[in-house]
Amino acid sequence: MFEFFKKSQGFLGMNSRNLEYIRPNNRKRGMEIADSKLLCKRILKKNNLGVSTLIAKIKNYEELDQFDFSTLPDSFALKPNRGFGGEGIIVVYARKKLARNTTDENKNNVWIKANGSTITAEDLKSHIRNIIDGSFSLSSVPDIAFFEERLKLLKLFKPYSYKGIPDIRIIIFNRVPVMAMLRLPTRASDGKANLQQGAIGVGIDLATGTTTTAILGKGHLIEYIPGTRLALSGIKIPYWKNILRMSIDAQSVSHLGFLGADIAIDRDRGPVILELNARPGLSIQLANSSGLKERLKRISGLKIKTTERGMRVGMNLFGGEIEEEIEEISGKRVIGSVEKIKLIGKDGREIEVEAKIDTGADSTSIDIELAKQLGFGDALKTFEEKVGGRDVLTELSKEEREKLFSSIPDLADTVPIKSSHGYSYRPIVLTTLIIDSIPIPAKVSCIDRSHLSYPVIIGRKHLRKFLIDINK
Amino acid sequence: MLYHPLVIFFIEQGVPVQTVLLLLMLPVVATLVAFFRQVVGIKAFGIYTPSLITFALLAFDPNGLKYGITIFVSVILVGMVTRFILNRFRLLYLPRVAITLSIVSLTILLILVTGGMYQRTGLASVSIFPLLIMITLAEKFVATQIEKGSRAAFILAAETLVISIVGYFLVSWQTLTVLILEYPWIILFTFVINFSLGKWTGLRITEYFRFRKIARHL
Repeated sequence: MFEFFKKSQGFLGMNSRNLEYIRPNNRKRGMEIADSKLLCKRILKKNNLGVSTLIAKIKNYEELDQFDFSTLPDSFALKPNRGFGGEGIIVVYARKKLARNTTDENKNNVWIKANGSTITAEDLKSHIRNIIDGSFSLSSVPDIAFFEERLKLLKLFKPYSYKGIPDIRIIIFNRVPVMAMLRLPTRASDGKANLQQGAIGVGIDLATGTTTTAILGKGHLIEYIPGTRLALSGIKIPYWKNILRMSIDAQSVSHLGFLGADIAIDRDRGPVILELNARPGLSIQLANSSGLKERLKRISGLKIKTTERGMRVGMNLFGGEIEEEIEEISGKRVIGSVEKIKLIGKDGREIEVEAKIDTGADSTSIDIELAKQLGFGDALKTFEEKVGGRDVLTELSKEEREKLFSSIPDLADTVPIKSSHGYSYRPIVLTTLIIDSIPIPAKVSCIDRSHLSYPVIIGRKHLRKFLIDINK
Repeated sequence: MLYHPLVIFFIEQGVPVQTVLLLLMLPVVATLVAFFRQVVGIKAFGIYTPSLITFALLAFDPNGLKYGITIFVSVILVGMVTRFILNRFRLLYLPRVAITLSIVSLTILLILVTGGMYQRTGLASVSIFPLLIMITLAEKFVATQIEKGSRAAFILAAETLVISIVGYFLVSWQTLTVLILEYPWIILFTFVINFSLGKWTGLRITEYFRFRKIARHL
C-alpha cells in the first residue's frame, strides 16, 4: 500500500498541473493564442511553422449572407475558432457529382462527409450560425467560423485509424519535449482524435519516435486495435525529429511555458501543427505508462538555449525505453552500426574512437596508427623487420615460425593472409574493447586502415553480447 | 442552547437566528465543496450549485432528503429528455434553455399537485425559493450537456447530488450547529483550510484510482 502511494507520486495530478505548471508558466498572451485557432495559425505561420492553409473565415451573420459557397474547394474542414475537444468540426471529402442539365446553382454545392452522407450549403449555413452564436465555444461566447484545407491521411496510419486523422500530442516544458502520444480516432470517438470521446492513445518513445504502450478512451490498457490483431506498439512515426523541433519552436513563439502541441502528418505536406493547448490533459501518462511529474522535475531549472539542445535533452532523458526492454528480455545490449568504443592497450592506455560494427566480418581489426598509439609500436616494428615482406609460410617450417613469432614482444597471434607475393602474416595484439560500457578482451589484427572512414571494424567474434539496431 | 454574545447581538438587531446560522454555515459548505474537488476529486457543477442545493435540501426539512432528491432527479431527467427532443430542431442556446426551464417548472407543478392528491402536502407547503434553486439547476445541466455531452453532465449532476447530501448532513449535524452558535469565530478556520487546499498539489483520491493500473509499471 505504502509502495503504491510512493510510486503514484511520479504522476502529475490536476492540482499540481494547475498550480505548479500552468499558473506560473502560461501567461495571458499564451492562453489567448491557445484559445483562438485563427490567432494561433497566424502566429505559427509567421514563424514558418507548418499549419493547414486557411481558406476563408466568417465572423458574423452579414458575412455569412454574403459568402459564396461555390468558391469553396471540393474538400475542406469547417471549424469553430474557439471550439474545444474537436466539437463542431465538419470535414468534407468531395463535392457531389452534379445531376446533368441542372441550372440550379445550389445543386452544385453539395459535399460528401466521411461517413458517406451528404451535406448541403444550407446545412453548412445553419452550422455556421451555430458556431457564430457560440454553441461550440467555451462558456458560449460568440465565435468565428473558418474553413481550412483538409489534411490527407498518411498511408502508414490508414489501417490504424477510423475515418479521421490521427494526431500526435507532445508535452513541452522548458523547451524540452517531455512526453508524447499518438492519438488514433476510433468508431467510438466518431473519427475524432479525442481520448475523452473514446479514441486510442499510444505512448511514444521520445528517442526513436516508436510507439510503446496504449490505452483506449480514458484509461483501458490495450495492445491491439480493438477487434483486430493490429499491434499498437512498434509503429515508427515518420518525420519524428522534425515533429519534435516544430513543437519546441511552437513553444518558443507561443509564450506557453507548459504546452501541449497537437501535430498531424499530412500525406503531401508532412507535419503540420493543428492546435496548441495551454491545459494539456493528463491521460498521456496512462498511454505512456509513465509519470509526467517525475519527468518535469528532472528538467525544471535547466537552461536550454536552442531547439536542437532541447530536442537532444528530451530524446536522451525520456527515450530508449524500448531498447531497455529488449535488453532486459534478451540479456543483450542494443548498439548501432557505428558506435563509440574505447580501446585499452598496453599499460592501460585508453583511446576512444568510432568503430564500424560489421556483422559481415569475422574478427576485429584496427588501424596500425591506432595500434601504435595503444603502445604496440615496438611490437609492430619488430614484426615488420622480422616478418614483413617475407613469404614465411613456405620459407620456414612450423617450429621455426613459432620460434620467430614468440620472439616478438606483445604479439598475441598472427593471421595468415594471401597477398600478391604469396602468403604473409598479419600481426595480432591483445586489447580490451569497451563497447557500450561492456569490456571485452579481444585479439585484434593490425592493418593499414588510413584510407577508410573508421579506424576500427568490429567483427562477429566480439559482438556476441549485442544486438544491432541499424537505425541507431 | 448557549449563544455567543456576538450571536446574541445579531439576534437583538433583528436578524433571525436561522439566518445567522445559515450565513455562518455557508463558509463551511463552500469549504466542503472545495475539499471534495481538490482532495477527493469530485467535480460537481462548480461551487455555487452544490452549496445552494445543500441549502435547498435543508429548506425541504423535515423530509429534506426525500423531497429534495425527488425534485433534483426530476429536474435532471426532464433536462435529459428535453435535450433528446429538442436536439433535432437545432435551436439557439437561450430559447432552448427557456423551453427546458418551462418544462421543468411545469413538471414540478405536476409533482406538487400529484403529491397533494396523495395527501403528501409537506412538499407543496415548502417555500418557492428552494424549488426555484432546483429549477435553475436545469440551466447548469443543459449548458454542461452542450459543452461536454450528456454522459459528463449526468456524472456531474450525480456528483453535485452526492456533495449536497454530504453538505446536508454536515449542516444539520446538531453538534456543529451548537458549536457555531457558541463559538462563531471557528468559521475562521475555513480560511486556514481553504488556504491549504489552495496550495495543495498532491494527487486527488480519484487520480490515485485512475493511475492505479499503471502505477506498478513505474
